[in-house]
Amino acid sequence: MKILSSTYQDTSIWRFFSSVRLAVFLLITLAITSIIGTVIPQGETLQFYLETFGPNFFRIIKALHLYDTYHSWWYLTLLGLFSINLIICTLRRLPFTLKLCRRDSLSLDSERLLKMPFKKDWETKKELDNDSTQSIISAFKKVGGKSRERDGVDGGRLFLAERGKWSYWGVYALHGSILIIFIGALVGLFLGFKGSVMLPEGETIDYIVNRQTGKRISLGFSVRCNRFNIAFYDNGAPKEYRSDLTVLNDDKEVFHKSIVVNDPMKYKGITFYQASYRAIPEVTVQVSNSDNMQRSLTISAFQKTIWPEEQLSFSLIQYQPNVHGRPAAQIWIADNEGRAGNFWLLEGREREFKQSGNLYKMSLSTAKQRYLTGLQVKKDPGVWIVWLGCTVLIAGFSVVFWVPHRRLWLWIGRRKGRTYVILSGQTNKNKLQLEKDIKKIEEALNSNLGVGQ
Amino acid sequence: MTFSSSYLFGLTTFIYMGAAALYLIRWIFRVRKVGLLATFVTISGLVIQTVAIGLRWIESYQLGYGHAPLSNLYESLVFFSWITVLVYLIIEWQTRQRVIGAFTTPFASLSMAYASFSPNIEDKIQPLIPALKSNWLIAHVVTCFLGYASFAVACGLGIMYLFKNRYSGASGGLIGVMPDCKILDELIHQTIIFGFLWLSLGIITGAIWANDAWGTYWSWDPKETWSLITWFVYATALHARFVRGWTGRRIAYLSIIGFVSVLFTYFGVNFLLSGLHSYGSQ
Repeated sequence: MKILSSTYQDTSIWRFFSSVRLAVFLLITLAITSIIGTVIPQGETLQFYLETFGPNFFRIIKALHLYDTYHSWWYLTLLGLFSINLIICTLRRLPFTLKLCRRDSLSLDSERLLKMPFKKDWETKKELDNDSTQSIISAFKKVGGKSRERDGVDGGRLFLAERGKWSYWGVYALHGSILIIFIGALVGLFLGFKGSVMLPEGETIDYIVNRQTGKRISLGFSVRCNRFNIAFYDNGAPKEYRSDLTVLNDDKEVFHKSIVVNDPMKYKGITFYQASYRAIPEVTVQVSNSDNMQRSLTISAFQKTIWPEEQLSFSLIQYQPNVHGRPAAQIWIADNEGRAGNFWLLEGREREFKQSGNLYKMSLSTAKQRYLTGLQVKKDPGVWIVWLGCTVLIAGFSVVFWVPHRRLWLWIGRRKGRTYVILSGQTNKNKLQLEKDIKKIEEALNSNLGVGQ
Repeated sequence: MTFSSSYLFGLTTFIYMGAAALYLIRWIFRVRKVGLLATFVTISGLVIQTVAIGLRWIESYQLGYGHAPLSNLYESLVFFSWITVLVYLIIEWQTRQRVIGAFTTPFASLSMAYASFSPNIEDKIQPLIPALKSNWLIAHVVTCFLGYASFAVACGLGIMYLFKNRYSGASGGLIGVMPDCKILDELIHQTIIFGFLWLSLGIITGAIWANDAWGTYWSWDPKETWSLITWFVYATALHARFVRGWTGRRIAYLSIIGFVSVLFTYFGVNFLLSGLHSYGSQ
């Protein structure tokens, strides 16, 4: 299909960007270069690439950003060129399509109709009476559908049944949809964020950490993890990861949802996904000083537990669920002057320890796992634009390939002293259906005009 | 239990191999009656396989897992062969060209044979891991595999075209019974259009699912990227034909290159690259 663009300046740059050759070149280039990022692992440290690929390859990887191929300058340039190509191709096609749509399909003469790819004609010596003319027209309309009529075309009456003229706009929808998806992606990139948080059971958080920059993002509300639960199948494979979440606004509970993988929580445009979990051990100990003052303390890993009266702090270094058939914990201890020590505690055995010159007794009463739920947190106001683009893409594609622009003509008039009936048709898709339609009208007309019986 | 799904799948494998052999005999020895038999055998294979898929679905409920049989490599290979046979039978019914069967049913029987006989493929019904527990599973797998199957058929047609075109002088013999080059070319084009729509829908349903499961609709995971590469290849084929008038040999070659890309998206990514889609390799 040749596309003329007399309305635009035909500079060489314009021609370059609007050529389909460029589009095909870009599609092939994108296909080939996209392979790179699937072969080279993405998003690793530079050290990793140096060790894996050696110094020579490493230089190429670093220069071309092959550690993050799909966000590298040259890949984004290719996508940018692709968008420009799409836009300019569209603009250049536009006058052509407008002309196609404005074209008057009723200003034809009988000669042209006889040259159509699908045509059939009848001639009779006698004049057609009103009744048979009417039945010919209604047979035509029955198959062709709604039709327009013009008198005095080449000395006869011309009928046109046209369908699917709008389908020429399908290609604009299809190409526009790609741009809509790109816009949606950009909106998400600039107005949204992606982050994550590890939230221990029972704790509340009002910020998350941006995955790319590592900076804190304030949520504007708080989220509490009430409980994390993991379920297994009989064969030991994981069945379900579930976090019970509560949203708090100024310490008031405003929203509650129990999330699992594939069923996130949405609140005020921010979505929380079940992504991972970690189990940390937690032990409860009974501790007493020389005055027999007793306390129950909960000590867990990565956290300090303070015994305020004695100004001592504890933490859990290691937990062993089975030492000689009993759980055991290695406890770290420090006083307020920074003197620290550690010792092992076995369940059911009280032990004494000395700290800052004082003697204490400690025993392990219970040990359990405490869960941290790993939440993926995302805000993406562009996602609906992307879904819109996807819908338009499928609709546009279906129109481009399956909605034909079909025209059926019927001309009744006089040529060379005889009465002529010409039936012809044209379509840009699905010629089979047109042939069937023409055949149907032909049969009806044959019986009307008294031939073929 | 003899009347189990695995017994029927084994039976299906042999029936499809028989059907492929019959189509080849029909083509090579030009015995017309064998063609009818081939169609009959293929249809009965499809029916038995459909029953088997249904049974496997029921069996998974009996085991207490309860999921559609579309969750691992074994089940996907079975589904791939099922849908390839279905797409082929539709084309046979529409075109009445049984020669095409000689070039498409082998894909289905190979897929079943690989699923049944490879020692590395786990054919037991496994419970769904949490990531796969979604209503999008069925929509995503069905759309993707409709695309894959169409492209498999397009590839078979492309190979036929190249054969036919190479020995275009031969009016009789093996080449003579093949459909006309023009018909083949149009069929390749139509099959690619059909497959492209389903591949697009497969990518879109995958994106919607990923957005629900992983919090991002596109993460450049190798499987996603390779499906996009495949999409680019077929988009090239459609544009080159539509605007630059590429037909015939060039489109036939593209239909084969495209299917190589499909195969890599399907198997290569699972076995050679790692990523979020790794459950497809077990």
